[in-house]
Amino acid sequence: MNRQIKILGIVIMLCYFAAFLKLNQIQVLQAGAYNDRPENTRAQLRDFNKPRGDIVTAEGEIAATSEVVRSELRYQRVYPDGELFAHVTGYYSFRLGSTGVERVYNAELTGRTPSLQLHELSGFFADQSSEGDVVLTLRGQVQRAARDALGGNNGSVVALDPRTGDIIAMYSNPTYDPNVISANQGEEAVDVKTLLDAAPSKPLLSRSYQERYFPGSTFKIVTATAGLTSNKVTETTPDYPVVESYTPPLTTRPIKNFDGNLCGGTLFVILQKSCNSSFAQMAAETLGPDPMIAAAEAAGFNDAPPIDLTRPATSVYPTNFGAVVSTPEGAAPVYEDTPALAQTGIGQNDVAATPLQMALVAAGVANKGRIMVPHVMSEIRARDGAVVGSYADSPWRDSMSPENAEILRRGMISVVTDGTASILALPGFDVGGKTGTAQLGLDPPQSHAWIIAFAGPAGQAPTIAVAVMVQGVDGASGSTGGRVAGPIAKQVLEAALMPG
Amino acid sequence: MTITESTTHQQVVVKALGRRRRTTELGLLILAVLVICGTYALASLGKSASLPADIVPFLGVIVALPILAHLANRKFAPTSDPLFLPLAALLNGLGYVFIARLDGDLAGLQALWTAVGIFGYIATLILVRDVRFLQRYRYTFGLIGVLLLIMPLLPGIGRSINGSRIWVSLGPIGFQPGELAKIALAIFFAGYLVDRRELLGVATFRIGRINTPDPKYFAPILVAVGFSLIVMVFEKDLGSALLFFVLFIVMLWVATGRGSYLVVGVVLFSASSYAAWRMFSHVQTRVTIWINPWSDPSGKGFQVIQGAYALAWGGTTGTGPGLGIAGRIPADESDFIFAVIGEELGLLGATAVLCAFLLLAGSGLRVAQRSSDPFSSLLAVGLTTLIAFQAFIIIAGVIRLLPLTGVTLPFVSYGGSSLVANYILLALLIRISDQTARKIPEPLVAR
Repeated sequence: MNRQIKILGIVIMLCYFAAFLKLNQIQVLQAGAYNDRPENTRAQLRDFNKPRGDIVTAEGEIAATSEVVRSELRYQRVYPDGELFAHVTGYYSFRLGSTGVERVYNAELTGRTPSLQLHELSGFFADQSSEGDVVLTLRGQVQRAARDALGGNNGSVVALDPRTGDIIAMYSNPTYDPNVISANQGEEAVDVKTLLDAAPSKPLLSRSYQERYFPGSTFKIVTATAGLTSNKVTETTPDYPVVESYTPPLTTRPIKNFDGNLCGGTLFVILQKSCNSSFAQMAAETLGPDPMIAAAEAAGFNDAPPIDLTRPATSVYPTNFGAVVSTPEGAAPVYEDTPALAQTGIGQNDVAATPLQMALVAAGVANKGRIMVPHVMSEIRARDGAVVGSYADSPWRDSMSPENAEILRRGMISVVTDGTASILALPGFDVGGKTGTAQLGLDPPQSHAWIIAFAGPAGQAPTIAVAVMVQGVDGASGSTGGRVAGPIAKQVLEAALMPG
Repeated sequence: MTITESTTHQQVVVKALGRRRRTTELGLLILAVLVICGTYALASLGKSASLPADIVPFLGVIVALPILAHLANRKFAPTSDPLFLPLAALLNGLGYVFIARLDGDLAGLQALWTAVGIFGYIATLILVRDVRFLQRYRYTFGLIGVLLLIMPLLPGIGRSINGSRIWVSLGPIGFQPGELAKIALAIFFAGYLVDRRELLGVATFRIGRINTPDPKYFAPILVAVGFSLIVMVFEKDLGSALLFFVLFIVMLWVATGRGSYLVVGVVLFSASSYAAWRMFSHVQTRVTIWINPWSDPSGKGFQVIQGAYALAWGGTTGTGPGLGIAGRIPADESDFIFAVIGEELGLLGATAVLCAFLLLAGSGLRVAQRSSDPFSSLLAVGLTTLIAFQAFIIIAGVIRLLPLTGVTLPFVSYGGSSLVANYILLALLIRISDQTARKIPEPLVAR
């Protein structure tokens, strides 16, 4: 029998060796391929079975936290304020993925960054895990003011600190409840997500940074910047004619001032009255395409802002106006698309901007021409409260020289003291603004009501810049922007500057 | 040398051998306990970032039970091979750590079953002082084995769980009699084949042009085997049927030394497998899933795919105990525990488990080879085959080397019946090993 026993031993050894080879194939050679298979959810499962840090506001209010539940996935994401911070925190769902801060700062929230793991090591035997809390730059109080002020209107409020790029408030309506989408139990989340995806009002997208709109007259700040930067416009020259409308070259369609008003004058006057004729003429005849394109791109157009959120939209300004048709004396050359260029000067035609982009335009004026990188994260904290990382503020764009920024700062303040944005006046504060009414060319007329503004204690550098956009307001008169968006911006400024 | 002198000399040698082997066993046991405790602490740290609160009672169980078995060895089987118990304790402890890591409630039960298993082990050592006692009752064991096998089919006490009707519940206790049946049948085969191996080894009977042994020597065992296989197939216990078939063919071949039995066995096996594949949809499902589990990734292929993902996720060194993703694989505490070990301990840990089983098999076969008594030798072959191939069948199923057939991983998986049966099986191997060493204490130098 001994021979057979020996052979049996060899057979058993061969069997186990085959198992060993197959194990090598699964665990080493093809491990990557297995891990990458689309239906392999282990990477997500790992995250859903580990504690996850909170997302808290600048005041320490919890915007997102994880609760332990008894199910296959140990942690359920909960958003105590429902829809209030939805477009910033995003949602965090096992089946539907994640967006916003939940996605961008996933490594920090799950504790997989080196600094968090290093910090965990220091308290190894304490009952502590490595997940980190994300502290937002947003202030709950200002965010609530934005939500309440916007009320039932579709639109967006963006408020940020021009000195640092900190987003103070960012609210978009309509919105959604991330609790419902993030629910891992039941089928409701998938159904709700399907409905929200199909809804024409796109509640899952933030109107603040993921959707673009005609900026209307708020874009005149960019046109004015182009004029100042190219030295073709100063505070005193040119003095645009006081007219009802302006007809660019190569077309017979006039660009009218709102409500058929007579309008014209020097820079501050045309800003205060928001003269369409003057800014259209400035873009088409005083400047021409190149200074306009340069100023728009210096302000951040045609480039997605590097905000720490998912899929920010790129604001656009056209870059091609065709060939030169003629070169008249004492004016910019006439291009094939100069009529369109004239319209872009007042934020119409192919100009499209996110409210975030327009807030950054105001912020550039407020911060001596320097636009800081906008961001929603201020700090990463370990569970014991220790700060393990903070956002390093950095400049994104120089939209204009400090001298020109000073001119425009005074110009925008004069729009509040003597012009269309007078509603923004706040005693004790220097407030500058610019209204906008972007006509949608519909019948009956509709428009997006805009206002951009900055404010700060009197005599000091502005501490806040805002952009308010209310979508699809009935009517399209020159006062629409100030009338509809103005009070909203004012409430947000008050909440930010005069807390309590 | 006179006879008395020789006997005394032999006693001294046996005693020395026994002391040496038990010291080795104790050392290896301590090593195994250290490994298990380390893994337990790490698994708890990985799960909740703290040392487990129940580490002291855990240590009590993990240390006390194997030590108890070790003391039983010292008393009842002093010269037995020192590798069996540490290997079983290592596999059992490792399995316990992963069951505790997956489900704390099951861990409590598994600890209880381990205790029952160790007592079963000690009881077997005490009751079976001489393996030839088993040889005497070979037919009784054959009958017991068949009765145990058909118990789950009896109305009233039989229970069907997860599609297999292999459970019996008596009052509050549920168990799988098939686990014990395998041992009983192995004893029966060994006894029967030792009786008839000469007769079965010569071809005296002609069927047409083929010489075969006389069918009358074959009949009883063929009836038993055929009946058992049919029962297992009807209970949908394919893994056990496969294991049982392997056991029978291996023992027949080892006993007779005729390779033709292997050929006939393989042909028979292929034919019956094909027939089963044609007749039973659940067999077809197993094969389809084996060839391409991704044909139904969220349904029938789910378990195998999740097992593969777990292993792949573990990679070479594993995620670390307690740091894998638990609760994803169906039956992860029993049939698929190897995938969990592979995930958290990686290729290194999984290979260590393979090596442990290989060492166990090697020790068993060495006992079989050393034994001069044919029955003991053949029984050792059978018992070793049971452990080695049961582990291989389930591991190969998990890693898709073979179609998946649900059997437990001996000593590692959760399950009372399997654990108790395997400890009894181990006690029998220990008994054979002890008897062998007493008779032929010469190869002292080797150990």
